[in-house]
Amino acid sequence: MLKTLFPTLGRVRFTVQILMLFLTVYGGALLGSYTVDRISQALPALSCAYDKTTGDHCILIVNQHLLHHRVGEALVNAQNFTLKVFIPVVMSVGIFFMFFFFLNKMFCGWVCPLGTVQELLYRIGRRLGRPLNRFNPKNVGRVRPVKWLMLLVLVLALPVMAGMGVVSNELGDPFCQVCPSRIATTLLTADSEQIAVRTSTTVNFALGALGNAMFGFIIIAALAARQPFCRICPLLSWNALFQKLSPMRLVKKDAHEKCEKCGVCEKACPMDIHEIGTQFGKKAFHEDCTLCGRCAEYCPDDDVIQIKFFGIRLFGSSREYYKKRVKLETPEGTQKKRVISIHPGKPKTENE
Amino acid sequence: MKNNGILIVLVLLAVSTAQAAETATRPSATMGEPGHDHAAMMRKAKTSWTLYPTLKVRMSGDSRATQVITLAPQNIVADVIEDYSNDLNDEKAHSKLPVGMGGAKFDRSAKGGFHMLAAREENGANVRVASTVYYNGERGAKNPTAMFMQQKHELEIIPQPQPREHSRYRANEDWKFMVRLNGKPLSGQKVYLETSNGSMSEFVSDAQGMFVMHVPDDFKAEEEGGQASAHNHGRRGADLVLATEYVEQGKSYLTALNSNYGPDAFDQRNLAKGAGFVLLGMLGAVPLLRKRKTEQKGEESDNA
Ligand code: SF4
Ligand code: SF4
Ligand code: SF4
Repeated sequence: MLKTLFPTLGRVRFTVQILMLFLTVYGGALLGSYTVDRISQALPALSCAYDKTTGDHCILIVNQHLLHHRVGEALVNAQNFTLKVFIPVVMSVGIFFMFFFFLNKMFCGWVCPLGTVQELLYRIGRRLGRPLNRFNPKNVGRVRPVKWLMLLVLVLALPVMAGMGVVSNELGDPFCQVCPSRIATTLLTADSEQIAVRTSTTVNFALGALGNAMFGFIIIAALAARQPFCRICPLLSWNALFQKLSPMRLVKKDAHEKCEKCGVCEKACPMDIHEIGTQFGKKAFHEDCTLCGRCAEYCPDDDVIQIKFFGIRLFGSSREYYKKRVKLETPEGTQKKRVISIHPGKPKTENE
Repeated sequence: MKNNGILIVLVLLAVSTAQAAETATRPSATMGEPGHDHAAMMRKAKTSWTLYPTLKVRMSGDSRATQVITLAPQNIVADVIEDYSNDLNDEKAHSKLPVGMGGAKFDRSAKGGFHMLAAREENGANVRVASTVYYNGERGAKNPTAMFMQQKHELEIIPQPQPREHSRYRANEDWKFMVRLNGKPLSGQKVYLETSNGSMSEFVSDAQGMFVMHVPDDFKAEEEGGQASAHNHGRRGADLVLATEYVEQGKSYLTALNSNYGPDAFDQRNLAKGAGFVLLGMLGAVPLLRKRKTEQKGEESDNA
């Protein structure tokens, strides 16, 4: 029964993603308006506080808020720089980590509503026969530092500087002002407020315009490129800071001869992490990994790539599984034609 | 493809600077003027916008560390303000805050989450209650529904629900409330709304004791920036009060619930321009959709 409902890890993940999309986008409407105050308030995924029916909100808004109103303001009146300032910061990072500890970057690959929206658009792009634009090993290095820059400048530095009065107050939450998840999730609740660009000040307007344009770019780009925003997402880099501290891991064998000529896992990786094919051991679990597990699904050899929790194998690559998987979908994510099995007694096999 | 990206960024910059020039002139005309702030303060000091009893929440102090929250009863005489925290199991769930000069001091170390605050005045056959809700921003707040529903007075107006943290009542929004007498929903009861911007309206509760408050859109353009402070993130705001009266067995009850509210969601926003920028971004990504002749896996461009 479970096997027919969830024939692949991909199907399990897709189901979780849809459930999480409902929780993060409509959770407040489904579970009661106060839900948002009661789960984590520091989620390691871009669940948006601006969505009026959200079930929880991301850690980035908390970081910006605390750095702006507590840390920044306290730095100005140095005499007030007491423990009081740090307690809320430590608390929110602590709660973030309590959640992050168990799932690690699965919060990206399995929970984040913006991650899911981008994936759904990519699926539509496959149906429409759009090409796949991807980064090759030579140029992927150019985009990777951007996520660190986004984190450093928009989430950490500017809010502190705004609190200190070095830059204007409107720069207290600069990432929220450009965040595409804010627009995507509110639009999903039929709320057009966030797409209406703020005109109150020049800074608000400029950031809003940039955010809107980036949102527009992403939703079209996602039809022909995988996870375009994730590449520069500051939550990806924030999460990467903690990814080595969680027992949920992507584990690759220390050596496997065939990898050099194979590279199927690289093709399957939505984040263009070529290291998953070229590196081994710990180095294969890259800072950009979202723990989607596709590489493990598409590795054609037994247990070369595994997802482990406290060393316990949750899923591992296998030849058998690979053969079944590629019949349903290419590593690049194109669904194969529906196959009706003509074997007597066997029900038809369905694709996702 | 790369040139395309650069072009888009340039266009974006050009358009936003043009808009910047347009908006830059507007706030400076109203803000920077010291006289304007003074006018706002005068307005704040004048409490006669309503005759109903209210509890005004005032914040003073520049930073969080020095912030003091004072609850000032207006149009009502009370020695204490009752404070109900949303954690009913806590022994300090219900406390009494003494009213001194200028009001009662809210205990910031009190439990986090929503607090229902009320001042009560009993004068022979007249019972008057002023109430408001304050959110004490702390982590791990309990669901406040049970606290809101717990009976505290004879006649009550209860938010269904209260706007959550970081949101509030805004012009043109509809919010539900329940009106109760002795813990039972009161149907057909008239509830009056007054705002410090001068609007008045009335609502009638249905069979379940529920009524819908439509927040009036009564902010005037020239008030831009008025009452804005660091605490409300520079947002404009005004006060509203809902009040209802009931006479039973020779006793008369008057209960009011007051709150702050803000301008319309689209105030100082522009939908058309917003949509324009989205479209611009979409156009920028269109080249990615084209199939290349050779269909080779080539470069990818990103707007980063
Ligand atoms: S705008 Fe983005 S960063 Fe801000 S709360 Fe929403 S999802 Fe989080
Ligand atoms: S990297 Fe992608 S999936 Fe992860 S938080 Fe950012 S948008 Fe969401
Ligand atoms: S390395 Fe594997 S698990 Fe990580 S993002 Fe790529 S395919 Fe997903």
